[in-house]
Parts: sequence; structure tokens; C-alpha cells
Amino acid sequence: MNSKKMGMRMKRIFVNAEACTGCGLCQLLCSVHKTGQWHPALARIKIKEMPELELNVPVLCLHCSNPPCEVYCVMNLIYKDPNTGYTLRREDKCIGCRACEIACPFSAAVMDPIREVVVNCDLCEGDPLCVSGCPEGALLYMEDSEAGERKRKAAVSLGAWRASRPRDGRGSL
Amino acid sequence: MKDYSGKIMEIDLSHGSIRIKDIEAQLVRQYIGGIGFNARILYDEIPIGADPFGEENVLVFAAGTLVGTPFPTASRSEASAKSPLTGGFGTSNSGAFFGLQLKTAGYDVLVIKGKSPQPVYISINDEDVKILSADSLWGKECWECVDYLEKKHYGSEIALIGPAGENLVRFASIENGRYDGWGRTGLGAVMGSKNLKAITVKGTKGRKAHDPQALLNAVKKGQQLIKSASSYHAFTEYGTLNASIPYSNFKAISAHNFTKGTLPNWKEIGGRPIVDRYGSRHVACQSCIIACGHWVELSEGKYAGIKMKDLEITPVMSFGATVGLNTEAIIKACELCQRYGVDMVSAGGVLGFAIELYKQGIISEDDVGFELDFGDDEAAFKLFHMIINREGIGDILAEGSKRAAEQFEQGDKYAIQVKGMEIPMIDPRGRWSTWTLGMLTNIRGGDHLRCRNPVENLRFNERDEEYRKERFGFKQTMYEKLDMPEELKRKTIDLENDITYIPEMSKWAEDLINLYNSVGICIRPPVMEKVGPTIIAEACQAFTGIEFTPAELMESAERTWNLIKLFNLREGEKAEASKFPRRFYEEELNGQVLDEGKIQKVLEIYYQLRGWDPKTGRPERATLKRLQLEQPGE
Repeated sequence: MNSKKMGMRMKRIFVNAEACTGCGLCQLLCSVHKTGQWHPALARIKIKEMPELELNVPVLCLHCSNPPCEVYCVMNLIYKDPNTGYTLRREDKCIGCRACEIACPFSAAVMDPIREVVVNCDLCEGDPLCVSGCPEGALLYMEDSEAGERKRKAAVSLGAWRASRPRDGRGSL
Repeated sequence: MKDYSGKIMEIDLSHGSIRIKDIEAQLVRQYIGGIGFNARILYDEIPIGADPFGEENVLVFAAGTLVGTPFPTASRSEASAKSPLTGGFGTSNSGAFFGLQLKTAGYDVLVIKGKSPQPVYISINDEDVKILSADSLWGKECWECVDYLEKKHYGSEIALIGPAGENLVRFASIENGRYDGWGRTGLGAVMGSKNLKAITVKGTKGRKAHDPQALLNAVKKGQQLIKSASSYHAFTEYGTLNASIPYSNFKAISAHNFTKGTLPNWKEIGGRPIVDRYGSRHVACQSCIIACGHWVELSEGKYAGIKMKDLEITPVMSFGATVGLNTEAIIKACELCQRYGVDMVSAGGVLGFAIELYKQGIISEDDVGFELDFGDDEAAFKLFHMIINREGIGDILAEGSKRAAEQFEQGDKYAIQVKGMEIPMIDPRGRWSTWTLGMLTNIRGGDHLRCRNPVENLRFNERDEEYRKERFGFKQTMYEKLDMPEELKRKTIDLENDITYIPEMSKWAEDLINLYNSVGICIRPPVMEKVGPTIIAEACQAFTGIEFTPAELMESAERTWNLIKLFNLREGEKAEASKFPRRFYEEELNGQVLDEGKIQKVLEIYYQLRGWDPKTGRPERATLKRLQLEQPGE
């Protein structure tokens, strides 16, 4: 099946930055799972502290439909998995030029300083540790449609829907 | 020792030399890490009677053993030196991310000796350690320096001092990035005396656990324990401010320099509602699942434009109660403290002291230059700046309230301090508990953070005439789940009569907190309630591969406590110094004064429990032998 069609049903990690406290547990769990060592610098998820917005935002690979890293990889190592639609790479062949890191609008591809190759979040074969380890529920692993559904639900419960309707309540859109 | 980062970095600023040493296995066995290492190093390195501002004082930073792992709240590092405020062991603990970077740079301990001839800062990038000129930073406030250093040393964590530390204000703090700090005991002034403006640390080395799976299991268990604590949910929402209203109801807050016990409308000024009103999102330190901090933004009013991490009970009490400021002024005061690098508790204490001197007519407008009153924020901040810059009367106040009190007639009555350090928050006349006895037995002076009852019950405030006990007040399950050796638990808590014995609990709580400060976890109530030596031993063992039993850990914490006591005694601490300020014994609050004789009796029980001489508070020879602390030649 075409990967782009799959995209609608694939599970991804969604970020609820409002809930993130910046405790950094996701980074430590990611680094130890992927490298056997504890260090935020080795993690494929990075928390950006934004004091001016009073926010901590976890940044990680979003598995775009048209990933610029795929285009920019001179070694042609980055590909979309035909079954899952994830953006994956053959890390063993990576020359570490970091073109993909620069091409990514989020810089979500990161250098692994131990092996000196660039890596991105591969969603841990369907069981991302950062998600299960987040104490605040700031990371959600779900299908796009479910994430959309949640967001719509949250918006409706906030009264956004009611506000968009005319005052008499009959609704004559 | 598979993953003890296992290195001590020693920097001698006098000679500009840098030395990296291995940590001996014996030191880890006996002292675990954090404050334990600091105690041993200071005891061995600082000569008796050393000038806190002199070349021979040593400043030590040590990250706790578990820092860098996901163990809940494992973020904390301890800074220690001989204190310019108390003259004894000065030490302070801070969270955030400094400890993690220090550990991943490959060091457990950072020792700073000597005195640089000109202003410098230290930059650490793994093995690459440089001493750089800080001429352009000297005199600047902290946040400006952090901005500059963050750009220059991208990704580093920064420990630094502000103008207060440079001017040797005796209660200056070392700031940990923008919003955290090693506040108490005047360590910032020690750093200032060494002409050291800042330390930037960046580490890139990962840390391996001896048994990663076992560590993850311990982490999970630890998280579950903390989440099951009775105070967990309240803490995730309101942080430390939960205790504010109960203490005000007991009439036990430090209102107007400990004269009132409570203030009208305190709930709106300093209770939980201020979190709803001013706070926004929660902020956590490394690996914390509680996230008690809040972002605060003042968008209107006199102090509009402040944006910071704030709303902790200590500064709220210090500026809201002791000085009597309103909430917005409290937030401004916190900002000032962090920008200029001052300990919030002592700053509030000294301001409250000065205002009361003024109100009593001991100092006048001619001395100060303007009028002072409780609740007058503009005057308080003017005086604050005079203290930081040591101008006029500020020069006297910058010496701390005990030293300043000697300059004024009857001054000692209004200086609310123990062993030179200003008492925070709570008034023992309003509530007598393990916490308040801890202010006397604390190895760093009048302070509330080294002795807290893990099962303190804030619903009750029953006064025991003998000062010996407080009400336990919880159900049996709480008793059963408390991680404490059974025999000791029976001696400490009498479930049948619903009693906690204060001296017994003090000893346990002090050792437990010392253990926390050794392994680098936090003393927030949900942690204290549930995380005991058993789970810590499990995590330490999984991480380091060294076999620790819970009993060994508690013994090592006790060893550290005794060693610090020996340090203080060596510096000339007298048993009489373990005494509250005169006011608490003489002036009534809620119709109560403290009974000095009875408190002395409780102290004697405490000393005996510790194996110290009941009169002098000196550790007995047998105790030192048991703890392997005998002095050579004795």
C-alpha cells in the first residue's frame, strides 16, 4: 500500500506541551533504551525550555508525509516504511554529514555522539518508552484520527463550538 | 565501581591549577555521595579557625549518587563551604539540572580552593576545563550573566553569584541558572571571596547503570510510591504552598518579624489561591514527577513584566509574613533575590529585623534615610539594594542579623536567628513539632530543611507540656507503610496513643534527609512520606553495583551528620548555641512562651539518642568508634 495513504492510520507521538513540566524523564529513558547510557544528549527526543512562552516543548521526529530529510540524504539512507509510514534510516551506512538534521524544520534528527551517526525517533517498534514513562501525560502515542478526535473533543468542551453558534441557539449556518 | 563517575576535580584558583583525582572506594562506601563527600572533604581540607573569606576555605559541589538516572526527583546537588554566616559547616542543596551536567561531564565532586587574584569563571566541558576572565561579568546581576554565558557556552548549566556575593554579603547565595539556587548559609559570599563569578558545566558522557533493568524497576517502584503518598495530588497542584494556610491557622507564621503569628487576609496573600491567580504551568526539576514549581507572570500592576519560576512557601513566608509584603511585591522580592544572588530566607529575616528596629525606635530615619514599615515594599526594596551594595546602614545589615544586632541596643531581642542563621517561616511558639526542634539541632543553624517529620500531620496542633511529643494522627496503614526499621518505629511512634515522639523522630528524619542529600533526591513531603532507605538501597545498588543495605545507608547518613557536628565543634560551637532567640522565651504569642528548661531536657534526650554527651552535645567516643570516625591519635 502507498505509504502516504497509510499515513492516515499510522500511530505517532503527539505532544501536549501544555502538560510538559520539563522533568526530562523521556530523554533519560530514550537514551538508555537506545544507547544503554543515561544522558539527555543521547536522546532522540529533546525538551526545549521556552521561558518566554512559559512552556516546555518536547521536540521529536514527526514522521512527516513528505520528509525533507529523505530528499537531502546524499547517501539515500532515509526511507518511508511501506507498512507503517514511519521515516526510518539505515543508520549503519550513515556518514554523519548532518544534512538531514539541517534540512529538518524541527531539527528532530539528532547526532548520536557515540556512534557519530544521525538518528531519529523510530517509535521503539510500537512501544515508545518516552510515552509510557511520561508522568504528566504530555506525550501521547495514538493514531492521527484519534488525536484529532481528542482535540475536537477538548475544543468542544471548552465551549468553542457554542461560541460559534448564533445567540438564539437555533443555529442557522 | 562500574558507574561511579568516580572523579573529583580539584581547582586551585590561587595557582590556576586543575587536578583530577579518582574517588576512593572507601569514600563511596562510607559516605555514598553528595553531602557525605562534602563533609569528608571539608573536614579534611579546611584548617581549624580558617577565615571563611580566606584562601584556605574550600567550596565543594557534589551531585548526589542517583543524579542522572530517572529515579524520581534525582536532580539534587549539594554545595558546601565554611559558612561566613554561622562560622560552622555551611551547606545548601539545589535541584534543577546542574548536578546532571556535572555528573555527565564525568565528575561527582568539584572542589574549589584558593583565591583568584582577579575575577574569573570556570568553564567545564567534559575534560576540557578552563579558568577564564570574568572582568566583563563582575558587578553584573545574575540573569544578565546567564544570558551571556548561555550564548557563549551553549547547553551548559550555570552556577553563579550576583552582586551580593561579590560584595561579601554574608547571606549571599549561589544561583543555579536563573531560577534556582544554593541559598542558605552564605555560600555566594564564599564564592565571591574567591573572585569566582560563575561555573559553567556541560557534559556529554552517558552514564551506564550496573543493572539497567533493576534500576528501571526501582524507578517504577519509586514513582508508584510517591504517587501513592497522601500529599501527592495536592503537591502536583499547589506545591509547597499547601502548608501555608494550616500554619497561619495555628498562628505560627513568622508574621512581622515573629510578632503576630498570623496576618489578616493571609489566605489571599500567601495561601493556595495565589497559585490559581498568578501561577500558570508547572515546572519540574530533572526526573521529577511532582513538578511543584510554577511559572509566574505579572501582567499588570506595579511590577508588571516579571516572568519567572516561583511561588514556593519559603519566599512567600519570608517576604509575605516576616516583612509583610503583598503577593505582587513577594514575587518582585523573589526576582530581586535571584537577580542579585541573595538567600531569600535570610534576606526576609534581615529586612524584618531592620523594620522592627525602626518601629521600636532603635534606629531612626536619620540612620536609614527613609521611613520603614512592615508591608511597605518600596522602602523594603530600597533597603534591600542598600544591603546588596553595602551602603549606609545596609553595610551593617549585610553582616546578617546576629552580627548586626551587636551594633544596636537590645538588638539581639529582634534578631530571629539560631547560630547566626535567620529562622524561616514558622514560629515554634505557635506550633511545636519535630520540625521546630530541628531548628535547634540542625547542623547548619536556624533552618527548616534538615529535619522534617515524614509523617507530619497538619490537621492537628496539640501542645505537649513536656515538648516531647506531637500527635501522629494518621491511620494504621500510614504507620505500616512507613519505611523504618520495625523496632525503631515502635519506639518513635506510639500508635495506640496516637503519639510521635519528637526527639526520636528528629534523629530519624535528620538521617533520612541526610541520606536524600547524599543520593540527590528531594525532600518534598510526598517523597519523604514514602521513599525510605529500602527503595533507595535498591536503586543505588542497581545503579552502582555496590551492595548497600538500607541499614548501611542510614548509618552512613548518620556518619555524615556526626562528622559535620565534629566540624562545627572543632570551629568552637557551644552547646548553649542550640537555643532560640530571646523573644521566643520571653514574649508571648497566642499566650505561649517557650520553656527553655523543658526544651533543654528534650535536647538532652535527643543527644542521648545520637550517642552524644547530653550536656555538651559532643559525640561520645563509643559513637565515633561505631561510626568509624575516630580521630587518628585518639
